Amino acid sequence: MPLLEVDDLVVEFPTRRGRLVAVDGVSFSIEPGEVLGMVGESGAGKSLIGTAIIGLLEPPGRIARGSIRLEGQRIDDLPPEAMRRIRGRKIGAIFQDPLTSLNPLYTIGRQLEETIRTHLDLDGRAARARAIDLLREVGIPAPERRIDAYPHELSGGMRQRVVIALALAAEPALVVADEPTTALDVSIQAQIVQLLKRLCREHGTAVLLVTHDMGVIAETADRVAVLYAGRLVELGPVEAVIRRPLHPYTQGLMGAIPRIGARKGRLVQIDGAMPRLDAIPPGCAFHPRCPHAFERCRIERPDLVGVGPAHRAACWRVEVEAGS
Amino acid sequence: MTAAIRRFFDHDLWWSFGRSPLTVAAALVTLAFLLAALFAPWVAPHDPFDPASLDLLDAFTPPVWTERGDPRFLLGTDDQGRCVLSTIVWGSRISLLVGFAAVLLSAALGVALGVSAGYLGGAYEAVVMRLADVQLTIPGILVALTINGVARTLVPRELQDAAAIWVLVLAIGISDWPKYARLARGTTLVEKNKEYIAAARVMGLHPLRIMVRHLLPNVIGPVLVIGTIGLALAIISEATLSFLGVGVPPTTPSLGTLIRIGNDFLFSGEWWITLFPSLALVLLVLAVNLLGDWLRDAFNPKLR
Amino acid sequence: MSAPPLVAVEGLARRFDVSRPWLARLLAREPRRWLQAVAGVDFAIPRGTTMALVGESGCGKSTVARMLVGLLAPSAGRILFDGTPLDPKAGRKAMAPVRRRMQMIFQDPYASLDPRWRVADIVAEPLDAFGLVACRSERRERVAELLRAVGLSPADGSKYPHEFSGGQRQRISIARALASRPDFLVCDEPTSALDVSVQAQILNLMKDLQERLGLTYLLISHNLAVVSLMADRVGVMYLGRIVEFAPAEELFTRPRHPYTRLLLDTVPDLDLRRRERVPVAGEVPSPIDPPAGCAFHPRCPWANGRCRAERPQPLPVGAARVACHAVEEGRLPA
Repeated sequence: MPLLEVDDLVVEFPTRRGRLVAVDGVSFSIEPGEVLGMVGESGAGKSLIGTAIIGLLEPPGRIARGSIRLEGQRIDDLPPEAMRRIRGRKIGAIFQDPLTSLNPLYTIGRQLEETIRTHLDLDGRAARARAIDLLREVGIPAPERRIDAYPHELSGGMRQRVVIALALAAEPALVVADEPTTALDVSIQAQIVQLLKRLCREHGTAVLLVTHDMGVIAETADRVAVLYAGRLVELGPVEAVIRRPLHPYTQGLMGAIPRIGARKGRLVQIDGAMPRLDAIPPGCAFHPRCPHAFERCRIERPDLVGVGPAHRAACWRVEVEAGS
Repeated sequence: MTAAIRRFFDHDLWWSFGRSPLTVAAALVTLAFLLAALFAPWVAPHDPFDPASLDLLDAFTPPVWTERGDPRFLLGTDDQGRCVLSTIVWGSRISLLVGFAAVLLSAALGVALGVSAGYLGGAYEAVVMRLADVQLTIPGILVALTINGVARTLVPRELQDAAAIWVLVLAIGISDWPKYARLARGTTLVEKNKEYIAAARVMGLHPLRIMVRHLLPNVIGPVLVIGTIGLALAIISEATLSFLGVGVPPTTPSLGTLIRIGNDFLFSGEWWITLFPSLALVLLVLAVNLLGDWLRDAFNPKLR
Repeated sequence: MSAPPLVAVEGLARRFDVSRPWLARLLAREPRRWLQAVAGVDFAIPRGTTMALVGESGCGKSTVARMLVGLLAPSAGRILFDGTPLDPKAGRKAMAPVRRRMQMIFQDPYASLDPRWRVADIVAEPLDAFGLVACRSERRERVAELLRAVGLSPADGSKYPHEFSGGQRQRISIARALASRPDFLVCDEPTSALDVSVQAQILNLMKDLQERLGLTYLLISHNLAVVSLMADRVGVMYLGRIVEFAPAEELFTRPRHPYTRLLLDTVPDLDLRRRERVPVAGEVPSPIDPPAGCAFHPRCPWANGRCRAERPQPLPVGAARVACHAVEEGRLPA
């Protein structure tokens, strides 16, 4: 049974200009212990999906349709108190900015212990011991001393490690990581990515890794979901999507990423820009920018279809080629 | 042209304006006062300051709805036979004039000092800001009183009355500049680190040009918000000074003067002479305050 | 090498005073504290080429950029533009002819345009500042030409910045930078805040403009992949110094300095060769209190006693210039 099942999720924002649909019918699942990367550019809706799963969607945003199931149970319609218990115990969260993810007024030990004691039945000393173990696991040197440090006394990379420790403190089954490395220097990014990969493998934790950085996905994820204008346009194993992308948007995206050692020349360019939420074209949202668009693309929105069950794309041309 | 007009009214500001009935009411009240003050000669039923038109026999007439009321004087008359309604209309004119002028002066002074202090920094900024801090420790009304007093000793006797309004504007204006200076400096400190200012510096623009053409327009928004509240406060300050007898001369009374004059008669039973100017003052200040509140919320991007 | 390089920099340095306020220092009897953001940098950029400065936060690359365009005065060293040294004490008017020829593009597309100005005025500001147009119609034409050159339409001139996306704003910034017909553009992380597909558009645009207008670029970036695409020569900076300087192909195929190797190792592997990388531990130390000797030695797998004591000087190695004892002594694997 999949650990997480998202089915036809729709997130919308009522504004004075009408309802803006930010996530439009997204469905995917995550198996236990799997790392699913969710990639997309700004405004594609990927962060919103992560937020909706954690249950921290801020009003007026709301889940208008669809369901989110964790270990078979629906979590999108739980009352706040029940959701709060699930958050932390079953789902951990890592956000982008380590500076604001930690409370500056409390020591990191206190924040860790608070999470541990809320979700696990441990007394003070056991909780502290576990916190020190966690800090050691995430690679903080001399954890017995550092446990009483305040967040501002640590560097950015160290802080992000503490955030990861916090997320894993209650041994959750799923961690939602939203741009966990974007605010860090490149050499630290590599360290954090490796850490996350190792820890999740060791603890058997599944990860939903939301990022705009395809490189991080390539290093860390088992499968990847590509989002465009609030819709899922491609879903598949990471090698397949990166090496043989099916959807024209993914193809353009891969071509647009500069690589070292590639021939020096121009990058592949997708003209135009992702449509704003209040101006999504009919049919396939990508068709105005797609070099392969034909009549059907302008009228009908494509479903996810694929060559095999594992690797699918929401594209009429793919369906045509799959059929033939 | 029509597109521009449509775009202007389509702005978020108007939408939030229309959504709040209180704000609309406040705006209407303020507008009514402004129009009445502007068109006082035509709006007021009488000219209360023309001695020839006054008749002492009309004095102490109560408002029209009481038993001794006179339909000529809707809100009654004072001790000199002046129509209270007319004095309120003319008085509002003075109050609003002094209020606006004082706010303009404070804002101009405060913004100029604040923006330059924030941008140029160094010893200049330290001096200006300490001056502002020191002045802020002294109650505004005391500052206004002091400046008023000093100015009166400097102005020759004959010109006292004519100059009184401008002395008042000066006094109230100078007493309030630190508020604007602090706000302007704060906004400047934030904006000057943004890259569009760096781009202007890379072009080699003169600092004065950068301050006027880039920083000033970005500072005006918040200043406008506290300006409306400042207007309310300036009107009250003027009323206070006039009430204390050191404001406008009795020949051109403002709302404050009227309240003072009427106060003497409060306990002898002629309550309307002080009540209606007081109500008018409260209404005006409240309306301006509410407008300022709305402006502040409208400009706050987080609440939008 | 007949013509002098367009831009040359000798011993450029900049320090910032990060001491506590004067009174506090006096009472605590503390000396002044200095942050050496740039500690002696030399390079030359030939006309029509792109030079990149790469490094992580705190390495001083942005400070170098700001010194070149005059936003900061150097604490030491000199800058030569087209063979002539720039006098840091020269007044604004005297510097105007030079300023006209060098412009800058910034990282944050949301903060680099005045939100209260129309786009046409923003783009035309250099024209007004340097007095380059005689009348309104000439100004309008030039603005239209510039907007078209960056892929926008002249009608966009009457709009405000907030009506545009990040990529479009960056185009507007580029149009503004090109208004005075500069020879030299300093680009400070021009695409770091942009999405990948938008980045591709902007980088392609920058390349086209360089070809058409013969521009010389100094590209500041932390993204090595972008640098490998755009740059002819690359300088790697660490804690205020250039630790390796080489032509781009050389740097990316034969990185020599340990820090360069570390940086290249952190570039994500999109070809999925799945090498199990061992990222070097540690983080960039604070520039206020740099390590003695070679600033990189605490994180360097090849550091020895000499590295801890003596700061390495840049020495030629092949086509590159490298400041590393291990490289000099031949201790590093190839």
